Amino acid sequence: MLNFLQVAGQQDLISVISSLIWILFMMIFILYPTFSQRIQLSYILRDLERRLQKLKVMRDEVRRKTVETLKKYSGDGVNVDEELDKLLLSFMIDPESMDPYGIVYKLEHIVNTWEDTFEEHVKSICAKADETWSKTLTNLVEVARGMDYLYRVVRHYYLLGKKTSNIYIVLQIQMLMPQLMEIAEAYRQACYAFTQGQPIGDGVGVLAAAKLVEGLEKKTYQVAKDTIVHELEMDGRKIFVLRAAGPGGAVGKPADGVLKILESEGDRVKAIIMIDAGLKLEGEESGKVVEGIGAAIGGTGVDKYKIEEASKKKNIPLYAFVIYQSIGEAITPMKKSIAKAAEETAEKVKKLISSKVEEGFSVIVAGIGNTVGIGIS
Amino acid sequence: MFPQRRGVRPVPKPLTHLKCLECGTLNSRPFKEGDYVFKEVEEKCPKCGANRMKIVGIYVEDKVTKKGKPS
Repeated sequence: MLNFLQVAGQQDLISVISSLIWILFMMIFILYPTFSQRIQLSYILRDLERRLQKLKVMRDEVRRKTVETLKKYSGDGVNVDEELDKLLLSFMIDPESMDPYGIVYKLEHIVNTWEDTFEEHVKSICAKADETWSKTLTNLVEVARGMDYLYRVVRHYYLLGKKTSNIYIVLQIQMLMPQLMEIAEAYRQACYAFTQGQPIGDGVGVLAAAKLVEGLEKKTYQVAKDTIVHELEMDGRKIFVLRAAGPGGAVGKPADGVLKILESEGDRVKAIIMIDAGLKLEGEESGKVVEGIGAAIGGTGVDKYKIEEASKKKNIPLYAFVIYQSIGEAITPMKKSIAKAAEETAEKVKKLISSKVEEGFSVIVAGIGNTVGIGIS
Repeated sequence: MFPQRRGVRPVPKPLTHLKCLECGTLNSRPFKEGDYVFKEVEEKCPKCGANRMKIVGIYVEDKVTKKGKPS
């Protein structure tokens, strides 16, 4: 039998232990470069798997809730599950940008066609829903589609990283996971808001526009698809308050509305004021109202382009009011601080009108956002 | 009664804020399906007993953040 002390050349026990520790260190230095990435990869994959499982639970919950709600309004003989799958996998192809000339109008055409097709499909599933509810249900399906897509993208990178043992693929998706989980949670809460028709944070622009004209004598008419205008006189100035028609979930076509008013009013319009929800930076206060210059509107960019183009052509200044909120707050039920900001914004808009627009002239105020849960004042 | 599933946040439930069209009293109750801002509803005012109220707001209360830390 091998004497234990022979290992360290007949030395004492301490020398044996130190020799063993030395060998162990040497092995770590030799093996670490070879196995470190594999160890890291397995840790990251395990973490991703756990989060992906959570994402799947959230995706399934949103889908279940959507199916339940659609079934409440669906006609007889409609397979809601099958139809929802078609909608969740539907897509829109962006126009070719190699030659950017006229791309905005090509994009507008494609987006309009896609939105109309999507809305018609939801209407065909939910034959019992009225006009207001079918718009809100369309928003609900869009939320479910967003959630489903998010899950599929994360799953794609997880499986791709696992299949190719590529640490750099899984590392990138792991770094993004905290933000993606926040977005997923926002989608989950948005799903509950849309199933019940509750106002969401993004609707604050519309709410501010509605508060501006609340209780005043005005003429209300439709100016573009899902878009209405309140026309009124205020301190000798003509005000056109433009917003999407509620209380169903819609954002309308603000740019088309602005263009039509500019066409009918000619050179009398002396300012365009836009109110919208804006993304805050971390640490900033939700519901803070800030003022700036430019077209405050998100989306595909088509509306922004058209408004900027028209204002430049007629040399009309563009003023913007933005109400800060996080991306999660924008699509989840409206918070008190954001709702209160609508009243503050309406007051600020009144002051801006009296300081920037002379009596006898006109001004357009556009409240931008989703009108779910916000009726006509 | 049952604990929340780990990691899943509760969905905030908004309150509907109503204003009496007779006396102007403000009142609130949990949100009901079909409520929307600026809707006139037939509900009894807790102060004057009138039957017409208008929804002036639907929102959830803000979470209280800890003071003394950068926010």
